[in-house]
Amino acid sequence: MTLLVDSLRLLRARVLFWVTLGISALAAILYLSIGFTPTGVSVLFGATEFKNPLIQSGSEFSELFYLGLFSKFIVGLWLSWVAVGLALISCAPVFPDFMSEGSIGIPLSKPVSRLTLFVCKYIGALLFVVVQVGLFCVIVFVAIRWRVGTWNPSIFWAVPLVTLVFSYIYSVVVLVSVKTRSVLAAVLAGVLIWFVAWLGQKSEEFLYMASHPAGAVLEVPEEQGQSALTDMEKWHRVIVGVMACLPKTGETMNVMDRLVVVGGKTGFSNSQFLAALFGQAQEDSTLDQALTRNSTSYVIGTSLLFEALILGAAAWIFCRRDY
Amino acid sequence: MSMAVSIECLRKIYRGGFEALAGVSLEVPAGSVFGLLGPNGAGKSTLVKSLLTILRPTECRGTLLGQPIGHRATLSRVGYLPEHAKFPEYLTGRQVVEFSAGLSKVPTAIAKRRTGELLERVGMTSWGDKPVGSYSKGMKQRVGLAQALVNDPELVFLDEPTDGVDPGGRIEIRKLIEAMRAEGKTVFVNSHLLAEVEQVADHVVILAKGRIVESGKVSDLTSRGRHYEIRTEGPVPPGIREKFNAQGWEVAGDRISIQAQDAGPVQPVIDALRAENISIREVREARISLEDLFLSAVNPDGTEASR
Repeated sequence: MTLLVDSLRLLRARVLFWVTLGISALAAILYLSIGFTPTGVSVLFGATEFKNPLIQSGSEFSELFYLGLFSKFIVGLWLSWVAVGLALISCAPVFPDFMSEGSIGIPLSKPVSRLTLFVCKYIGALLFVVVQVGLFCVIVFVAIRWRVGTWNPSIFWAVPLVTLVFSYIYSVVVLVSVKTRSVLAAVLAGVLIWFVAWLGQKSEEFLYMASHPAGAVLEVPEEQGQSALTDMEKWHRVIVGVMACLPKTGETMNVMDRLVVVGGKTGFSNSQFLAALFGQAQEDSTLDQALTRNSTSYVIGTSLLFEALILGAAAWIFCRRDY
Repeated sequence: MSMAVSIECLRKIYRGGFEALAGVSLEVPAGSVFGLLGPNGAGKSTLVKSLLTILRPTECRGTLLGQPIGHRATLSRVGYLPEHAKFPEYLTGRQVVEFSAGLSKVPTAIAKRRTGELLERVGMTSWGDKPVGSYSKGMKQRVGLAQALVNDPELVFLDEPTDGVDPGGRIEIRKLIEAMRAEGKTVFVNSHLLAEVEQVADHVVILAKGRIVESGKVSDLTSRGRHYEIRTEGPVPPGIREKFNAQGWEVAGDRISIQAQDAGPVQPVIDALRAENISIREVREARISLEDLFLSAVNPDGTEASR
């Protein structure tokens, strides 16, 4: 408890925490300002209006659109990239500071195990994201009730999902911090693994979509097309193997689509959302298929396995080294 | 006599083969002030950190407050002020002390009461609610002392406690150490400030290159070179000097040195001087200082001297 209270004090003392919180609040208020009119969508509390034949007040697509904005833009972009990035920068010094000469001696000389100290410090850093995303979701929760007319607690799935994404990358930051005590090296390692994970996921997604075409998309001779598909499948299998060992940051965020409730049903259709956004009633389901190609348990399970291995190595170093 | 710390063998070899402690063995009587002295790099901090599990000794046999060294629960009965103590700058002095209490598993209500008392004791009441970032080095050291005592420890390790503290503060810290001894606590002071340790310690150990080169009660060690000095008004005349030298008394200018454990052997010298009508300016008992002892055990470049 003492360590968690200290973590909250640490967060409160970090300028970046308040900066991120402020920007998050602004983004949430911007979201709150989006409403519906009989002819389309209004933003900035009615200051500007965009006409749309499908997304209008009272239309069946309004809830889909509003939750789509939350899922795709707010969770998918703001929370999973900017907020996580700022949280990484802000939390990167937590372990190097804690382990510095003159600081670590007092906690280690207490009747608290090194592992407990390590775990509490790690959880304390995760609080940064939990508090940020939690507050954000509360504003969004109110916004959805106001604009769409329903209480939608499923949006709070964003809290554990964004925290999970942060924790995958932060585990690498912690490992490098504990090994080198260098904040810069830790941040660089975190950014690197994040980029590699993103690149791997996008490559895998592309190869999946290319090797699993919905309908006749290849206007080439059948034999040549089959050969190309076989190659694609082969490469897809290779990259799936590689990605199995890496954290799935983007896919973990996409799990939000499977958990959010739209129109009383669990599951959010990206294809339907994009079609509605561009005023089309018919959608192409290829994107939905691609985004749900891996099961939730595979996506989160393999990522957590990665995190557990990295954190285990970090904890081992932390517990065994001399200070 | 019960021992607060009893080390049978403590060895630490760092990665790379550097031997910081070469199988040290020592005992710290309970309720005493114990001084661990030595030049920089002697292994003083390594020894303290080994006892407190901050680093992992290569070989360690012994007890701390009756439990094997490394027994984690026993650490709740121990206080520690590290050298160059650094506290999170976002905490106030009060929060630093309460944080230490929490880690030592002191109940919240007791911790709050003790924190107030200790801040007053170290003269930090008015600064207690200000962030540590605004403190001077001496203030940080005072808060460090308060956090080391918040769990009402039986054994307190103070690593260079007067580091960065002004002369007034040093006197206060010395009084605090004496008060701890009066309360029955064992105080283990790690310092290179010999005069300070000499004033407060009951027992000392001098460490050099990871080995104990001198140890014992301060009173015994400093009385080892006990002698008496008589100073005359002007140089001792040559005839008398020869007579005194023949008796084994050392004469240099106006000073006569007599090796003796008590004042008895001094009396004939005084009589002889007075018989010759030589005026005596001063008679004093001289003891070896801890500093002299330290220098005789450790030569100036920090290497071990022969015992």
